[in-house]
Parts: sequence; structure tokens; C-alpha cells
Amino acid sequence: MAEPLLEVRNLIRTYGGNRSLLGGARPVLHAVNDISFHVAAGETLGLVGESGSGKSTAGRVTLQLEPADGGSVRFAGQEITGLSPRQLKPVRRQMQMIFQDPYAALNPRMRVGSFVAEPLVVHGEDAHKDRIADLFRIVGLDPAFMTRYPHEFSGGQRQRICIARAIALKPSFIVADEPITALDVSIQAQIVNLFQDLQDQLGLAYLFIAHDLSMVRYLCQRVAVMLRGRIVETASVEQIFSNPQHPYTRSLLDAIPVPDPDRPRRKRLAFDVASNIPPREAVMAEIAPGHFVLQP
Amino acid sequence: MRQFFSELSRSKAGLAGFILLVLFVALAVLAPWLGLEDPTRGSLRARMTAPTWDGFWPGAHPLGTDEVGRDILSRIVHGSRTTLAVAGAAVVAGGIVGTFLGILAGYAGGLTDRILMRLVDIQLAIPLMMLALLVVAALGPSIQNVIMVLALTSWIRYARIIRGQVLSLREREFVQSARAIGASGWRIMLRHILPNVMTPALVVATLELARIIVMDAALSFLGLGVQPPNPSWGRMLADGRVYISTAWWSVTFPGLAIMLTVLGVNLFGDWLRDYFDPKTRSAR
Repeated sequence: MAEPLLEVRNLIRTYGGNRSLLGGARPVLHAVNDISFHVAAGETLGLVGESGSGKSTAGRVTLQLEPADGGSVRFAGQEITGLSPRQLKPVRRQMQMIFQDPYAALNPRMRVGSFVAEPLVVHGEDAHKDRIADLFRIVGLDPAFMTRYPHEFSGGQRQRICIARAIALKPSFIVADEPITALDVSIQAQIVNLFQDLQDQLGLAYLFIAHDLSMVRYLCQRVAVMLRGRIVETASVEQIFSNPQHPYTRSLLDAIPVPDPDRPRRKRLAFDVASNIPPREAVMAEIAPGHFVLQP
Repeated sequence: MRQFFSELSRSKAGLAGFILLVLFVALAVLAPWLGLEDPTRGSLRARMTAPTWDGFWPGAHPLGTDEVGRDILSRIVHGSRTTLAVAGAAVVAGGIVGTFLGILAGYAGGLTDRILMRLVDIQLAIPLMMLALLVVAALGPSIQNVIMVLALTSWIRYARIIRGQVLSLREREFVQSARAIGASGWRIMLRHILPNVMTPALVVATLELARIIVMDAALSFLGLGVQPPNPSWGRMLADGRVYISTAWWSVTFPGLAIMLTVLGVNLFGDWLRDYFDPKTRSAR
């Protein structure tokens, strides 16, 4: 098998530790603790977990927005951990990020046209108005909006602006950090469809970070479930939904609302995270082709 | 702009401050065309003339003359030119340096931040007036030196406030997003952070303007500001205080000019701070 577009191995990111000037060492928090995953070109991997499970950190470290404290990130065959900002710049053309809160993700003092054009300017490309107008059309916005400021837009429109900026350089990989969580339910579906259209048109690969599994089912081919900084289960979407192995995965599945009122509700599995912190020595085992589960 | 004035007209204090400020700036700008006497030429025959008023009409010296017979009104109006020019230049110079260093400290963090902030702490521990006296005494009193020394006492206030703003801004997602597209640190500081700290910088600037006008007057009073015969408010106070018991007008009117300008700037600055603060804004 050819090397995947993105290969993350044994990634570690810790916070705290011996950095305080006075007093002793602060406790070390392993936000991302020895996780491995890969994303093939044109594929979508869902990264799912509750708040604080380390999924957003994993996304940021993957893009080298934060340094890794251990492990490796290979992108298109190149090791990108430990690169200088100058060495990273050509890599950044290829990988982009979309954020959760579209209200905080736009510079309030910058016209949205300039904001979308910025990646082109930074990488010395032609940022002509026509090209920006095309980007606006691709994400379903009127190019006449270019000269406006962010506060004039709704949440869904803002997220479209962020997406236009992210695809301006025609990247091959995008980390989408809960891009629909902050949006109205009616808008969520539109944005998910936009993600899918862009994937078909541009051959994008996504790392789609989410805290529940409902949208992941429509958007992703494979899913990785995170718990307390560890990946506890990785499998294809079909395997996760038909044969969930880890108790935490099952509790996430049970949390999805069932749209059929006649169907009896599944009993909620009471899953207590605090008493189910994955033990340090736990390892992943392949229980079916492509289906890995963390063994207790 | 229209919203600015409609908000301003709702605050009596803010409006009063704004009008005072506009009045003094207009006087300073229009001074040569107001038909006033030469502020540097006196007439010994007319020395120590009390304010001359003919009923409600001002006479030859509506605010009187000083000990060498120079017209006080003319000296106040012309003095406002130097005062406002010196204070304005010092505010701009201090604001640019302070804002830049505040952004640098906040965004770069680490050693840069610690060095800059310790510098601020050290300077705060030295009485500002003493520092100003020291520098002017060492370099000699000239307009450039006065501007420089006033800016030197001013940059720390910008640096501290701007740094705090930057600390929260740099974690915002649009800054992260700029890093994700590979923008350089300079680009992020200039294009993403600077426009978002302009508002607090502007508020600090108005409050600093008031402080600097007083400090400029104090330096002139001590003889370290603008040199005679050019008029300056602080100098007029210093020269007139000898005659305070016989010619009350020689100190009263320059003192009033200082007070009204500073009051105007302070009132307007306070209102401006409230105007830009989203919390007090929504309460209105």
C-alpha cells in the first residue's frame, strides 16, 4: 500500500510540568498521549471524543500550530515535526485548518475579501479580485460581500468565509475542528454538504473533529475515538456503527438521538469516564481488518 | 461617524470635553489670523495693565499684560500652539513606541516579554518628573528634547495595556488561522493584532495627552521647557507668580488655560473609554 497522505505516529503533547518559576513542578497533563492515525488522500477521518479528550490538541499538533512533545507527523512523505517556520511554510500550503467558532475565527477589523485573499498574498500568489470572487462562489457566497466586515455576517456565512480562506491555496488536507458545532441545526447540514462537495471537487482529505457521532456517519469513511488523550478505537464507519467494541464508543453511539418515535430508546450505558481512564500499558489490538481497539 | 456624534451628544461631560478640546485646537491653529498682538513684543508703557473691558466689549488687553507689557491673551493663544504641538508629538511618539513594544512583548512572549516588562517596572519605580529633569538637564532644553522626554515617560502606559490585550488576542482563532496559512510573525502583528489594539491605544492616548500637557507646563515652569521669548503656559505661570499679589491676571489666565485644556481632554477621554467599551455600551 502506498504511503498515506498523513501519518501520525505515537504523538505526544503535554502541558504543565516543570515550568513555573517559584514552587515545585506543576503536574504534567498528557493532552495527547501516544496516539497514531493516518489519513489517505481524499479520505475523511473522524476524530471523536468528549470535551477535554485531546482531539482539538491532536488537530493543532498535527498542523504544527503547537509543537509535539514526542512522536512523528509525516505529511506527503515528509517529516514535519521540528521544522522551522521557514521550512514549514511550503508545507502549510498543503494543509489548512477550519475552526469551531466562526465568530472568533474572523479578524473583526479586516474586510472578508482581504481575509480570504490573505493566504494567496502570504504565499506570493496572484490575489486578484476575480480569483477571490471565484472562491466566494465556490463556497456559495455572493462575491459582492467581499468589501464587508465580519460582523455583518451570520454564523453559517462566516463559516463559509473561513472555508473559502482554507481552500484558497488548493490544499490537499484540512483539519476541521468541530466546524459545525457552533451553528444552527438547519445550517449544519448545508455546511456538511459543502464539505462533501469540496471533497469531490478538490480531492481534499479531512481530519474531521467532532464530539458526537451523528454527523460523522455522513461525512467520514473511518473514525477514531479519543478518550483522555488516547485513541481507544479506530475503525471504518460501518464497523463502528455495527460492531462497536470499546464501552466508550458504545456510550457515544447511544447518545445519538433516534429519529423514530416508535422505536424504543436504547438503554443508556452509564459510562463513567473518571473510572475508565485508559491504563498506561494498554495497547491497540486489531480485532478485524482495519478495526483496532485499545485493550484494557 | 454619525453614530459617534449622536452618542457624544447624549453625554454632557463628553460633549463639554470635546467642545473645549476643539476650541483650543482651533485657537492654536488659527492664532496668526486672529488679529492678536505680537506675543513676544512688549511695551514698557503698558506693563502690568489690568484686563481692559469696556462694558461687555474687550478693550486693547482683554486679559491684561505681563511685567514687560506683552498681551496675555495673545501669549496664551500662541502658547497653546507650542503646548499642543509638543504634547501632540509626545503622545504620538510615545504611543507608537509603546504600542509597538506592547505588541512585541505580548506576541513574542518568553525572554523578550520578560525583558520589556522588567524595563517597564524599573521605569515605574523612578519618579517621572525626576527622570524628565535629569534628561532635559543633561541634553539641554529644546523642543525636540522636551518631546523626547515626555514620550519617554509615556510609552510604558501603552506597552502595559497593549500587552495585556495582545495576550488574549494571540489565542483567538483568527490569529491561529493566520499561523496556519504560514503568515510571518510580523504580518500577524501588523495585520491581525495591531488593528485590534488601536481602540485601547487611542483611549490611552487621550488620557496621556492630559497628563503630558500638565507635565509640559511643569517643565516650562521649572525653566526646562520652551525657551523665552516664545510663549508657553508653564513659563507664564513661573514669570507671573512673583507679581501674584499685585497683578492677579498674570497667573490666573495661563493657569485657567491649562486647567480647561486638561479638563476637556480628560472629560473627552473618559467618555471615549466608555464609548469603546462594549460592556458599558450595551448598558446604554
